[in-house]
Amino acid sequence: MPALIEAQNLTKKYGSHVALDHANFTVEAGRIVGLIGPNGAGKTSALRAILGLTSYEGRLEVLEREPFSERAALMNEACFIADVAVLPAWLRVDQAIDFVAGVHPRFRRERARALLTKSQISGMRRVRELSKGMKTQVHLALTMAIDAKLLVLDEPTLGLDILARRSFYDALVNDYMDETRTILITTHQVEEVENLLTDVIFIDKGRIVLSSSIEDIAARYVAVAVADNDVAAGRAEKPFYERRTLGKTVLYFETPDVAKLSPLGELLTPSVSDLFVAKLSQGAA
Amino acid sequence: MNTYSWLVRREFWENRAIWIVPVVIGAALTLAALFGRVDFGNLSLAAQNRAIGGTVLFAFGMTFFVVMSIYSGWYLLDCLHADRKDRSVLFWKSLPISDTATVLAKLFTGMIAIPLVYFIAADVSTLLIAFIISMRSRSAIGNALWQPDLWLQLQALWLYLIVTSAIWYLPVAGWLLAVSAWAKRAVMLWSILPLLALYLLERWFFGTHVFGAAFADRILGYAPRAFHNMSGNAGWVTAVMDKDAVSTPGSVWILLDPLGFLSSPATWVGVVVGIAFVVVAIQLRLRRTEL
Repeated sequence: MPALIEAQNLTKKYGSHVALDHANFTVEAGRIVGLIGPNGAGKTSALRAILGLTSYEGRLEVLEREPFSERAALMNEACFIADVAVLPAWLRVDQAIDFVAGVHPRFRRERARALLTKSQISGMRRVRELSKGMKTQVHLALTMAIDAKLLVLDEPTLGLDILARRSFYDALVNDYMDETRTILITTHQVEEVENLLTDVIFIDKGRIVLSSSIEDIAARYVAVAVADNDVAAGRAEKPFYERRTLGKTVLYFETPDVAKLSPLGELLTPSVSDLFVAKLSQGAA
Repeated sequence: MNTYSWLVRREFWENRAIWIVPVVIGAALTLAALFGRVDFGNLSLAAQNRAIGGTVLFAFGMTFFVVMSIYSGWYLLDCLHADRKDRSVLFWKSLPISDTATVLAKLFTGMIAIPLVYFIAADVSTLLIAFIISMRSRSAIGNALWQPDLWLQLQALWLYLIVTSAIWYLPVAGWLLAVSAWAKRAVMLWSILPLLALYLLERWFFGTHVFGAAFADRILGYAPRAFHNMSGNAGWVTAVMDKDAVSTPGSVWILLDPLGFLSSPATWVGVVVGIAFVVVAIQLRLRRTEL
């Protein structure tokens, strides 16, 4: 079965600035993929290319379509939330539902209505009258009600308070359990989504630094917190990154000799955020 | 086609002024009819009554037409810019609607849907006003305004105006759409200054007036193409009121010149240029998701 998203040598330049530099990655069906990178890494450029919003060089296939030339057709089966604030201010909630119902063949009106009733948002209100959290809820309700194969979220919780962020991810996960669609999400708040992800793609300066499933990460990467007198022994095993915290030195290894490391301390799988920082620093070194 | 009906509906949702402005004009004119001067003195001939009636109704119609043209122009200039400015373009692009459909729906709204709203408002207003004036006026002017034949001619005139001006002004509409899709800000300046620059540069470097003449012809050349030259006074009916003479064409049917309009080469050159600008607007819309 072909991958849902397949990118080969994906390149995007804005004048002389290279936003994406021959990036290669795939997204398989049914996965929840986190696209993680620092500011200016190329995350938004990658998403824009995937969603047919910008031209690019290289090969990119999304749901077996070329996104830039087939964006409208692609949007029958994919949907995205670009940012919390993109719903038009003048639009009424019930107009939004009517419009999407009218133009989208896979939109289920009752589902959108149900989600909005749960959030207690009246159909008569205009987007400009809603708080930021409510705007997200409306956008999410509209998107969840579309029976799409691919959902792309670009920093969806930007600017939301913790309650709104929590309810957003809860709704996302619950929906995922019901529908088994593929989700591609970018966010700065890696810790928040870590537990949801099945795969991660690290991107930095337009290049893919790491592309792996969470299980593979658990199999490949090991972090050990060693006391000061064990640090030399730990360094002998060639960690790719080290970090000092709370009186101990944490050493990060890729496929190490586990037997040699066990005596030095407890072996843990690094969190995605830690691994991200480690990998990026490795690249910078 | 269902998508197009939703797209046009969306334009009406976004721009409530589309129907509010004509209603306000109609209300203002109705109030003028209720409280203004309606004494037209005594006119003896039926034909003279018709002349006055026709002129009054025409004047009201022209008010709507002028406001409509200004509003349509503003609408076309704004429609592909506003949603880039507030980023809502990213919402519209997340739906399965092609950029071609988006641009064509806006073109249709600006050139056909908005004029139709003004047309309906003008119709309703003139009916009300004719009724009010016929009630109020001591003269037989009311009878002049209430003639079904005259009213029918006005409908024909309006519809002819909407269709032919949409064809003739397509290059203008296309230019406005292209500027709307392209400009980051100061949209109105971008719509005017490049044309001025082109005119001046041509004059200074080549000494020719080609661009200026073509542009002037485009703006002013509609009436001569769409309507017969009535200067021979053959079809005119004149009425004298106080000391003013009012002349109108005796009938709309001799005024309209559809064959002349369609056979004029300028009409079709304009259509080709207009289509080119619309294609440019679509390509710009395809490539730009932000300002």
